[in-house]
Amino acid sequence: MDLLRLVWRNLWRRKLRTFLTVGSLVVAFFLLCTLRTLVTTIQSGADAASASRLIVQSAVSLFVDLPQSYQTKIQSVPGIEGISKWQWFGGYYQEERNRFAQFAVDPAETLEIYPEMQITEGSAEAFEKQRRGALIGTGLVEKYGWKLGDTVPILPELFPHPDGPGIAWEFEVAAIYEPTARNFDPNMMMFHWDYFEDTVKAGSGEAPGVGTYILALEPGADPTAVMGRVDALFENGPQRVQTTSESEFQKQFVSMFGNVPFFVSAIGGGVLIAILLAVVNTMLMAGREQTRDIGILKALGFTDGDAVKLLALQSMLICLVGAGLGLLLAQVTEPGIAGALGSMFPGYAVTSSTYALGAVVAVGLGLFAGIAPAWRAARLDTVQALSAKD
Amino acid sequence: MSQQNGIQLRQVTKTYTRGGETLRVLDELDLAMEAGHFYALMGPSGSGKTTLLNLIGALDRPDSGEVIVAGEDLARLSRSELSDWRAGNVGFVFQGFNLIPVLSALENVMLPLALTPLSKKERRERAEFALDLVGLGDRLGHRPTQLSGGQEQRCAIARAVVTDPTVILADEPTGDLDRDSADQVLELLRRLNAELGKTILMVTHDPHAAESAQRVVRLDKGRLIGIEQREPAAASMTEGAS
Repeated sequence: MDLLRLVWRNLWRRKLRTFLTVGSLVVAFFLLCTLRTLVTTIQSGADAASASRLIVQSAVSLFVDLPQSYQTKIQSVPGIEGISKWQWFGGYYQEERNRFAQFAVDPAETLEIYPEMQITEGSAEAFEKQRRGALIGTGLVEKYGWKLGDTVPILPELFPHPDGPGIAWEFEVAAIYEPTARNFDPNMMMFHWDYFEDTVKAGSGEAPGVGTYILALEPGADPTAVMGRVDALFENGPQRVQTTSESEFQKQFVSMFGNVPFFVSAIGGGVLIAILLAVVNTMLMAGREQTRDIGILKALGFTDGDAVKLLALQSMLICLVGAGLGLLLAQVTEPGIAGALGSMFPGYAVTSSTYALGAVVAVGLGLFAGIAPAWRAARLDTVQALSAKD
Repeated sequence: MSQQNGIQLRQVTKTYTRGGETLRVLDELDLAMEAGHFYALMGPSGSGKTTLLNLIGALDRPDSGEVIVAGEDLARLSRSELSDWRAGNVGFVFQGFNLIPVLSALENVMLPLALTPLSKKERRERAEFALDLVGLGDRLGHRPTQLSGGQEQRCAIARAVVTDPTVILADEPTGDLDRDSADQVLELLRRLNAELGKTILMVTHDPHAAESAQRVVRLDKGRLIGIEQREPAAASMTEGAS
């Protein structure tokens, strides 16, 4: 008990240094926790994807559109219950930084295929009937303060308005959805395919292509068999397709950003190594400052093992306090980060495994940083230690 | 007081190597000190006084020879056994006080009791008693930096006696103190010897300090020069202490 008291008091021997070390640990563990959560969010998004949905895209690339005529043919494939066209609109609201996902869709079919979208304001009928009607997520309501009946101007980058460049497309909020699944993006906006097609045609004279077809499988249908049948339909052109599960599609989508998990993990690893060196340095300095105290303890009858405990516990305590505060900060800021990164990382939430990993890393860091000073303390000659300067 | 509980050194040799040169600090030293007596250890610098104190306190080991303290041959004990032995048998008083700066006077005195099976309450009571004994009963919560040099040394003496050790080893305990503080510390050591029967071995350069002891052991070049009897000091010291 007295040794623990000494451990605690020694931590505050150099208050500024302790505050700075704990502060760096807080930042490091917050970053570690946040970065890992980004990775787990990406992975859980793919893992949580529905097994009853398939995505059809061009076999060449996601950026190559498919003809609209494919819809009827695909719909005739056994095992398919529903189908909707989707096209990525790629616009922004007022300023370029206000980007979120916008899709032209078949309204009724999309609502059937995605039961995760629970309409909380407005109605499915209103969304389906209003030609310029849009369905928006609660994330956008929170972020931009939109409400039912509001006209939302979206500046296009891929599909210019027929009235000229720089003219916004206007949509009217007809319904608001709230995701019932944690990983479903609450920051999407969907609008009528017909309105999209007519407007594009008015400008270019050509009907727009389809980015992806979203398929809903009949209950009990074999996804692999359906994928094979759909791909086989267009094996000889005019344009080959690639049908994948929703999970595979999401993984492919993420991979478009490069190897994000590896990149994020590499940054986390770098942060960890940097903080490890900082804590080792702090503990070595603390160990040297306490040389005389260790000599005193040994003269009083404390053992080499007690000297090890004194330094190792200080290292452990400093790491646990810093890590604990860092993880707490990650928890406290979770809603804010989820709101800010929601469109890119829907369902951002710090998982219990991340907290557990943080705790394990903190213990490991504490042990590792304490090894060198503790080893030195154990080997200290009592007489020499007693003659050390303060 | 029996010889069994005293201090015996037989043919003790200790050398140090510094800068490639081997120094023979103690040279086949034979010495016997009786339990319950107050010894002053004197000699010129480099005569081996502090080395001798460290060997008796089990802080160091001789190259050869036997060091027997309170009936225990220290050479036979392992490193951890020596720690246990120190905790139960020796109290140290250093020239530089060697109090732990982040602990209060009370906590410093309670520290060696952490190695005993006493409860926290008992440890506190004993530490408070020891601090009362040295006249620091009103300084329990003071950190060493808040105490004067004399008070620090008295606190160190309280820490040395709180475990009720057989032997108290004091290395120049008055070396850093002014005359008044030094006299207070010497008075305390005399009382510990006279009233509690502690065996005290005090290294000192100061003839005035050595006058407090009953016997003066003189060393030179690692060898015993002689032991002077300073009787009947104990009786008058006891009177002075009371």
